Amino acid sequence: MSEMWINMGPQHPMTHGLWNLRVKIDGERILDVDPEMGYLHRGIEKISEDRHYNEVVTLMDRSCYVAGLNWEHLYILASEQALHISPPERAEYIRMMCAEFQRIGSHIMWYAAFVQDIGLMTPFLYGMRDRDLVLDLFQSFTGARMTYEYMRVGGVRNDLPPPFLAQARKVLDWLVPRFKEYDELCIGSDIFHKRCDNLGVLSASECVRHGVTGPMLRSAGLKRDLRKDRPYSMYRDVDFDVALADGADVTGRYLVRMEEMRQSIRILRQVLDWLEHHPGPVMADQLPRWLGAPYAPVGKEGYVLKRNYAKGVGFSSIEEPHGEAQAYVVNEGSERPYRVKFRSPVFANISAARQYLVGYRVADIPPIMGSVDPCIGEVDR
Amino acid sequence: MDSLYSVSYGISHAIAFALGSILPSGARAAIESSDVVVAFAVLIFGVIILAATMINTIMLIWWERKLLGRFMDRRAAMHVGFAGLLQNFADGFKLFRKDTVKPRDADRLGFYFGPTAYMITSLMIFGILPISSGWDTGALPLTLLLALAIFAFAPLFIFVSAWSSNNKYSLMGGMRSAAQMIAYEVPLLLAVVAVVLVAGSFDLNTIVYEQQNYWFWGPLCVALVVFVAAMLAEMERIPFDLPEAEAELVEGWNTEYGGMFFAFFMFTDYLRALVGSVLVVLLFLGGWTLPTWVPSAATSFPLAGIVWFMVKTYIVFGLFVWVRASLPRVRTDQLLRVGWNRMIPLSLLSVFLAALVVMAKCLPVFGCLPSVGT
Repeated sequence: MSEMWINMGPQHPMTHGLWNLRVKIDGERILDVDPEMGYLHRGIEKISEDRHYNEVVTLMDRSCYVAGLNWEHLYILASEQALHISPPERAEYIRMMCAEFQRIGSHIMWYAAFVQDIGLMTPFLYGMRDRDLVLDLFQSFTGARMTYEYMRVGGVRNDLPPPFLAQARKVLDWLVPRFKEYDELCIGSDIFHKRCDNLGVLSASECVRHGVTGPMLRSAGLKRDLRKDRPYSMYRDVDFDVALADGADVTGRYLVRMEEMRQSIRILRQVLDWLEHHPGPVMADQLPRWLGAPYAPVGKEGYVLKRNYAKGVGFSSIEEPHGEAQAYVVNEGSERPYRVKFRSPVFANISAARQYLVGYRVADIPPIMGSVDPCIGEVDR
Repeated sequence: MDSLYSVSYGISHAIAFALGSILPSGARAAIESSDVVVAFAVLIFGVIILAATMINTIMLIWWERKLLGRFMDRRAAMHVGFAGLLQNFADGFKLFRKDTVKPRDADRLGFYFGPTAYMITSLMIFGILPISSGWDTGALPLTLLLALAIFAFAPLFIFVSAWSSNNKYSLMGGMRSAAQMIAYEVPLLLAVVAVVLVAGSFDLNTIVYEQQNYWFWGPLCVALVVFVAAMLAEMERIPFDLPEAEAELVEGWNTEYGGMFFAFFMFTDYLRALVGSVLVVLLFLGGWTLPTWVPSAATSFPLAGIVWFMVKTYIVFGLFVWVRASLPRVRTDQLLRVGWNRMIPLSLLSVFLAALVVMAKCLPVFGCLPSVGT
C-alpha cells in the first residue's frame, strides 16, 4: 500500500465522541495526523451570555458529560468571584466531595473506554458496573445520573439526604478492592505492557510547550496539580498526594489515573468525616433576589430586576479529571454574565496529537488517544 | 444407530417405501430400487451434517455469550427461549431479513462471492470430521490433511471480500488477516505433524484410536500449546483478532457488510471456532473416547461417544472464551514477530519431542507403551 489519508472519525470507535482524526499512513505506520474538532460545537459560551447565572450551570453539565460536576464547580467558582458572593463552608465541602466523586466516575469511565481500545472487554463492563455506584450516589442527592444541575451561585441546591454518608462510605469500601482488580487485568498482563509501554511518549517539556495538562503532564513526571499548587475550594484542608509516574507513555497515564482514584478516595474519606460533624446551611445568606428568582413573575412583565450592584470579574482554574480547566466570567452589572470563557484541557491535549502519534502504528492510535481521555463535549463546548 | 450412514440409510429406506406404497407399481419399483435409496440416503446424510453443524455453531455462540456474561459479571442473553437459547436464532433471522447494502464502488462479484465462499468452504470441513466411531463419511485416509487444506482457504476469501469492498479499513483488515493467517499456518501444520508422527496416520479415526490408552496432550504438550495458540490466530479471536480490531479498523474486513452477508461472516467465524475446538479434541484430547478408568456406565449408553465429544468440544471452546474475556489484543507486528520468531521454533521443538515419544514407545526402560491399531 502506498501513502494514504484515512479519516478516523467523526464516526469511529476510536474517537470516544465526535471528532475526526485524519491520519496519513504508509501501511501500518503513521506519517502524519491532523485532528479536526468542532463537530459538537453548541456555542455554550455564547448561550451563557443570554442566561441568568444559575441557568448556565445547566450548560456546564453538557459541556463535559462525564465530569459535569467538575465543570459546574469551575463555573460556579468563577461567577461567585465575579458576583462577590462567598458560599458557606459546608457548601464548599459538598462541592469538593462532588468533584472528587466525579473524578472517580470520570476516571472509571476512562478506564472502561480505554481498555476497550486495546481489546479488553471484561474490564469495560467491570468499569461500567462500578461507575453505576457513583452515579447512584449522585442520584441520591441531585436526582440525576448525568446532568445534575446541582451547584448554585452561593452554595448548592440542597443538602445531602441523611443516609448519604453511610452509602458513600460503602461505595468507597467497595471501590478499593475493585481498583486492585482493574490493575490485575491491565498492569498484570504482559500483553498490556507490550501494547502500552513506551507508547505515545510526550516528554514534560513538550507537554509544557503544547499546554498539555492533567494526567498526561503528571505521567511525564512533572508534579503539577492545581489542587496542591493553587488550592481552590477546601483542598487546602485535606491531605493527599499528587499522583506521579515517569515514562510519559500510555502506561504512565494509566498509573497516574489509577493512583488519582485512590487519592480521591483518601480525600473523600476526610471530606465525609467533616460533613458528618459539621451540619449547617448550604446556601449563602443575603443573596441578591434575582439569583433566586430569575424570571419575572407572571403578570408582572414590567418588573425590572435590580441592576445597580457591583461589577466584577471572576477567574477560576481547577484540576478537572482531564486536566486544568479555566473559566473567566465578566459581570457587567446585569443579571446575566457579560462574557463567559472556558479553557478546555482536552482541547490542548488533543491538539498536540501530532507530537505523540507520529511514528507509531495504526493499531496504536486507539490506546494513545484513549490514554488522552478525550471528552469532546468540553473541547467543542 | 451405530453410524451416521446407517441412520440416513434407514431414514431414506423408510421414506422411499412410504412413498412407494402410495404410488402406482411402476413408479414404486423405481422408487424402491436400491440406487434411489442410496442416493437419497447420501442426500439425507448431507442434510443431517449441515443441520447439526449449523445448530451447533449457533449453540456455540450462545455458549460464548453466556460464558462471557459470567466472566463479565452480567447475565448475557436471557429473554428469547429458555435462558436465551433461542436468542441467536432470533438475531440470525433479523440479519437475514435485513437488506444488504453494497457500496457503490464495490466490486459486485467479489463483494458477494467472498463471504459466500468463505462460509461454504468452512462448512465443507464438517463433512469429513468424525464425531464418534462410525459417525463420519469414512474411507478417506487423509481426512486431517484435507480438513486443514480447506481450513487454509479462508484468507483468500477474506482478502477478496476486503479488497472488493473498496474501503480503506476493509483493505487494511484484509491485509492483516492474510498476513496473520499465512504466518500462523506454518506452526499450526507443524504442530499437527507432531501428532501425525505419534499417531502414524493422517486419518482422524486412527488418530483417535491411537489415543485410547493415553491422550496426546500429555506427551505432546508443547504441540498442544502451539496448536491452540496458532488456532486462536487462525480463528481471529482475541488476543489475535486484530484483522477485525473494532477499536481502530471498525470491524476490519467486514466493515462494509450488513444483513445476510454479515451473518455469513459471523456464522463462519464461529464455524471456524467450532472446527478449531473439534480439532483440539480430536488431536489431543482423545476424541470421543474416555480414559479407561472411567466406569463403563459412562460410555455405554446410546450415542455416548457423541455426547462426550460434544462435552469436550464445548469445554475447549469455553477455554477460548476465557482467553477472550481476559486478554487484550496484540499488535500486528508483535503478532507476526511472535509467529515467525517464537511459534515456528517451538513447533519444530514439538516435532522433535514427538519423535522422542515415538522412540520412547519402544524403549525397554519404559516398556513398550501399548498402542492400538496397525
